[in-house]
Amino acid sequence: MSKNFSRRDFLKLAGVGTTATAVLTGCGPASRYVKREPYMQMPEYTYNGQSTYYATTCRECAAGCGLVVRTMQGRALKVEGNANHPLNLGKTCARGQATLHGLYNPNRVRGPIKHSRGERLYASDVDPFNGEFPDVAANLNWDDATQVVADALTKYKPNEIAFLMGTASDHLFDFVTDLAAATGLNAPVRFGALSMFEARATLSKASENLFGEASLPFFDLGGAEVVFSFGANFLETWLSPLAYTRGFVGLREGKTKLRGYLVQFEARMSQTGGKADEWIPIQPGTEALVALALGRLAFERRGGALPRAFADVDPKEAAEKAGVEFETLERLAFMFADKAGSLAIPGGAALGQSNGLEVAEAVLALNAIPDNFGKRGGVSLSALAPTQTEYHRPASPKEMEEFTAKLASGEIKALFIHGVNPLFELPKALDFQNALSKVEQVISFATFPDETAVAADYIFPDHHGLESWGYQRVFTGSALPILSGAQPVVSPFYDTRATVDVFLAAAQLAGGNFASATPFKDEVEFLQSKIAPLMNETGGHFSAVDAPTFDASFQQYGGWWKTEGAFGAPNTADVLNRDLSGAESQFVGEGEFYLVPFVSPTLAEAGANKPWLQELADPTTTVMWSTWVEINPHTAEELQIDNEDVVKIISEFGAVEVAVYKYPAIRPDTIAIPFGNGHSAYGRYAEGRGANPADLFSAEYNQAGDILFGGLKVKIEKTGKKLAIPRLESMMGVYHEGMGEE
Amino acid sequence: MATVSDLNISEVKLSEEYVGKWGMFINQDVCTGCQACVAACSMENNIPFVGDEDSGYGRTMNWIRIERFWEGEYPEVKMTQNQPMMCQQCGHAPCEPVCPAFATVHSQTQQLNLQVYNRCVGTRYCANGCPYQVRSFNWRDYKRPEPLPNQFNPDVTVRRRGVMEKCTFCIQRIHQAEDKARSEGREVADGEFTTACAQVCPADAITFGRVDNPESLVSQLTKEYQGVRHLEELGTLPNISYFKGA
Repeated sequence: MSKNFSRRDFLKLAGVGTTATAVLTGCGPASRYVKREPYMQMPEYTYNGQSTYYATTCRECAAGCGLVVRTMQGRALKVEGNANHPLNLGKTCARGQATLHGLYNPNRVRGPIKHSRGERLYASDVDPFNGEFPDVAANLNWDDATQVVADALTKYKPNEIAFLMGTASDHLFDFVTDLAAATGLNAPVRFGALSMFEARATLSKASENLFGEASLPFFDLGGAEVVFSFGANFLETWLSPLAYTRGFVGLREGKTKLRGYLVQFEARMSQTGGKADEWIPIQPGTEALVALALGRLAFERRGGALPRAFADVDPKEAAEKAGVEFETLERLAFMFADKAGSLAIPGGAALGQSNGLEVAEAVLALNAIPDNFGKRGGVSLSALAPTQTEYHRPASPKEMEEFTAKLASGEIKALFIHGVNPLFELPKALDFQNALSKVEQVISFATFPDETAVAADYIFPDHHGLESWGYQRVFTGSALPILSGAQPVVSPFYDTRATVDVFLAAAQLAGGNFASATPFKDEVEFLQSKIAPLMNETGGHFSAVDAPTFDASFQQYGGWWKTEGAFGAPNTADVLNRDLSGAESQFVGEGEFYLVPFVSPTLAEAGANKPWLQELADPTTTVMWSTWVEINPHTAEELQIDNEDVVKIISEFGAVEVAVYKYPAIRPDTIAIPFGNGHSAYGRYAEGRGANPADLFSAEYNQAGDILFGGLKVKIEKTGKKLAIPRLESMMGVYHEGMGEE
Repeated sequence: MATVSDLNISEVKLSEEYVGKWGMFINQDVCTGCQACVAACSMENNIPFVGDEDSGYGRTMNWIRIERFWEGEYPEVKMTQNQPMMCQQCGHAPCEPVCPAFATVHSQTQQLNLQVYNRCVGTRYCANGCPYQVRSFNWRDYKRPEPLPNQFNPDVTVRRRGVMEKCTFCIQRIHQAEDKARSEGREVADGEFTTACAQVCPADAITFGRVDNPESLVSQLTKEYQGVRHLEELGTLPNISYFKGA
C-alpha cells in the first residue's frame, strides 16, 4: 500500500475501506452493510450517478474466483472479474455473470419459515414467464428461529446432530468444523454434484496411489505442446474452468513455439472436444487400455527398456477394442513421444466407470514419458491455500451413501443443510428422500426454495453470496496460495440472516460447551479471527501494521494471496514401476447404449433458476431451456426417431423422458444427457423443466468411491410424444412450420 | 426513377481506404464458446430473456451469439471454430439506407451504426438487410418480475416491444470514457475501457479498441493475425476482424 491515493480516488476505488472503517468505530453489525436506496442521507462514499465497486468472491461454484461488483445507490448492477485476483485475472464465466439473477431472483426464501415437509412454497401451476406468484411469506421471526436451532442443539446428544454442507463457502465450513470439534457434534460432510461429475475422489485416490499423496493434480496446459485429454471437460465446468481456459489459450498461443495440439479421447464430443484438433471417439470403457497402448508405443518409439506399467498391453488389440485405427493410435503415440511438452489429462465420464481409478492411473502414468512431473507444462499437485495444511476433498458418492444410511437408520436426529441440494444433486438411487424422512428435525439454510428446503421442517435462509461475508480457499488453478475474501456488495434484500450469525446466537442460548466454543460477537469477528494469522505471514501481496488495516485491505483487494508460490512436485519414483491394469470397464445394465451424462456447461449444478443462464445456448447443441438426449443421426434413423421426439431412457435403476437432439459428434452406440435441469422445485425458471440424468444412476461405485455415472448401459423406448426444444441454430422449423421439414 | 448508377456505388471506398474508429479483433482459435460474453452482454445492456416458447420461435434477444457449424460426418466430424457474431458496425451498412424512420443511422463521430429506439417503428427492414443476421426484434414486453429490475444498468435504455435492437459496442462505456478523458484534458487511452464482452472473455478472444490508431492493441492484433472481415465482398466495410485459426 505504498501508492498514494487522493481521497477522492480512495473513495471511488475502495468504497469498502469506508465500510470497514465503520467496523472500527464499533457500530452494530447492521452498519457494516451499505444501505440499499433510497438514501435520505447519502453516505459519503456514494455520489449520485457514480458507481461504487466492491471486491468479493463468486459463489456460483467452489473454484473461488474474485469478483468486482459494480453497485450504484445500493444496487448491484454488474459483475466483473477482479483483475488483481491471481486465479481469474479479471475474468468470469457465464455463471459468474448471472449471479445477479440469483441475487435478484423472484423466487428467493424471504425470511425464516416453518412449514410441513413437502409443502409447496409457491404455486406450481403458474406460467413462469407471465403468471403472478404470491410472495412466500416468512412465518417466523429470527428470535424464534434462533431458539429452534438452540433447542435442536440442546435437545439431542451431540452425536445425533449432523451437518451437510456444499462446497462453498469455506468460512462456514471452518466455523462448523471448529464448533463440532469443540462440542462433539458430527463433523460436517460436504458434497456437490460438480465434485461427483469431476470424480474428485478418483483423482485424489489416483494421486495417492501414484505419487504417495492424496492431492488434486494440476495440469499446466499453458506450458504444454501436445495435450491428450481423456474426457476432461476443462473448458466447461471442470475444477477451475477459468484457470484451465487460460491454460488452453497458452497452449494455442504459445508465442515462442508452435501452436499447441489438443487431442480429445471421448465417446461424445464435449465443448472441450469441439475445440480439440482431433477428436477420437473411442469405445467407452477402453480408456485405460488406450492410454496404456499409447504409453507402450510412445516408449518403444523413444527406445529403452519397457517399464512394467506399459509392458502387458498389446497395442494392436487395444486399437481394435477401442474402435480406433492402429495407424491413428501409433501416429498419436509418436506425436506424444516426439514432443518435449506432452501432457495427458484424465477426467469426465471415463473416471466414473468401474475401472475409473485404473483410467486415472494409466493416463497420469502417460506423463512419465515426457517426465513432465512438477515441471512447466506438466502435472503438479495443486497448491494448498493459506490456512490449509492438507488437501481436503468433498465427500465421494460412496461416502454420501454411508451418510445417507446413517440418516436412514435414525441415528441422526437433527440435520442442518446448507449450500447443497442433495434431493437434486445426489442420484435418486441413494434414496436421500427416504433418509431425510427418518430424521426428526431437518433445518435448511437455503437461499432459494430448492427441493431439499421444501422437504425440510424449517428454512432459515442465508444471504445470497453477494450479500455475505466469508472466504473461499482456492483449491486448484493457481500456483499461488489464495484465500479469496467475500464481503457484502449490497445490503440483504430480504429478511435473511448469515448462518454463522444464527449459530452464534443459538450457541449463546444453548449455553455450556456451545457458548464457550463460539466466543465471537458476530460473523465478522469470527472471520477476523480466522484471517488474523495471515497478517504475520511473509510474502503476502499487501502488508498491514495492525489488524483493522489488515482486515480492511483483505476486503478491499478481495482476499489475501502470496506473490510467489509453486505447485507441489509429485513424488514419481514408483509411477512406472507398477502394474497398471488395462482391463475394460464392466457396465451396469442390459441396454444397448452407453450413457454419457455430462454437466451442462452453462447451468452446472445450481444455475437452473437463473433465467439468463437457461436462455444461453448450449455451446455444442445450442439448445436452451431444456434437457435433451443426444443421439447419433444414423442411430436415430435406424430407430426411426427424429429431433424433438420424446423418448424414454431406461436404466437398471430408473427412467427419464427427454426429447431427442440428433447430435452429429457422438458414437452410434452412445447417447448423452446433460445434467442441470429436471428440478421439481427451485423457483419458477427451474421447476418442471427437463429431466435429471442422475435419476438413472445405480448405487454402484468404482474403487475410489465415485459413482458409476459413466458406466451405465441404457435402453431407449419411443413414447410417441413430441416436445419442441428451443435452440439457437436453424431456428426455423423447430415447430415444424414455415420453412418446411428438415 | 433512380438507377443503380445514381447510387454512386463507385464512390464506396474500398476496405483498404476506409478507416473506422472503434473496432474489434476476435481470435476464434482461442474462443471456447463458453457464452460468458453473451451473459455479460445481456447483463450490461438490459437485454430481456424471452422464455422457452419464444426462444423456440427464434426470438431470443442476443446482441452477440456464438455460431458453430459442423463439417463432415461421424467419425470424421468436426466442429468449426466458435464464431462470436454481433453487429459488425459496418462503415457502409446495408441496414441504414432502408430505414424509413431514420432509426438506424450512422454516427459520423463514432463511426458506429446507431439504433435510435424512440424513432424505430418496427418495420424490420434493417434486419432483412443485415447480412450478418445480428439484429433482434423486440416482439413483446418481456416480463422481468420484481426484484429482477434492480439489476438494470441505469446507463442503458430499457426497450419496449416493437423496436429493433442490436449491439452498440457498449456505447455507454465509450461515452463514459470519452467524458472522463475530456474532463481531464486528454485523449482516451488504449485499453482504458472495453466492451462488456471483451472484458469478461475468459480466453481474451475479443479485443476492442481504436482501429484508426495503428498503435492500439486491436490494430496490432489485426495486423499480426491478418484478421479477415466477414462478407467483405458485399462492400459493407465491417469494423470487426476475425482470425479463424486452424
